[in-house]
Amino acid sequence: MATVSQSTRLKVLFFGRLKDLIGQAEDSVNSADAATIEQLFAHYAAGNPELAKYRPSLVASRNQEFVAWDTPLHPGDEVAFLPPVSGG
Amino acid sequence: MTTTPSYNDVCQLVREPIDVPALIRHVRAPEDGAIVTFDGFVRNQSHNRPTLYLDYEAYESMAIAKMREIAAELHEKFSIHCVAIVHRLGRLEIGETSVFIAASAPHRAAAFDACRFAIDTLKRTVPIWKKEYFEDGAVWADGELPPAPAATSHAKPAS
Repeated sequence: MATVSQSTRLKVLFFGRLKDLIGQAEDSVNSADAATIEQLFAHYAAGNPELAKYRPSLVASRNQEFVAWDTPLHPGDEVAFLPPVSGG
Repeated sequence: MTTTPSYNDVCQLVREPIDVPALIRHVRAPEDGAIVTFDGFVRNQSHNRPTLYLDYEAYESMAIAKMREIAAELHEKFSIHCVAIVHRLGRLEIGETSVFIAASAPHRAAAFDACRFAIDTLKRTVPIWKKEYFEDGAVWADGELPPAPAATSHAKPAS
């Protein structure tokens, strides 16, 4: 974890149906492009109306903790967008 | 903050068949009087459609962290000795165990309660997803939305 702190980028992960929708499991974004989780999601939803529809049924995590959508982001953060979980 | 289990607990994601007897042996100790286990396995149908097989994926690092949080919470809530929580990933055939939980305790009530709490919490909070494969296609299973804060009350310290 400490080794990524000097990065100027955000690591973004997609899982489940989101991964299918985005067409990739992982992305990297300049941290200047998104100040919050909400803005980061908007960055992807802008060009993908299908993805935008999923917004009410998603949770987000920052550095592997579930967080609110207004959570601020910092360079080196790992953000994931998670559909409803279905383990077990 | 993630509490590191200090009770010899096991929290694992595996891609091979889950070694159930080994996990039961692991949690069993002379001071215990009971072990309660939960064996979750692949059902042959979903809403009356015949299932061919399932494929599980996880946000692995976070899933392990959340499983460890569950184990720590079990020790806070129940008088248990030890717990093993193991989930399998990848393709699973009908009848194969996808999740196995074993809780040991001096007395049975704590072991029952802990095992039930563990599987219920896992299904709600651990980032694992299953895709169901049918004769005519595949779908991501309906799931539960993990509880998350509605809004930050103020800027949180970086973790």
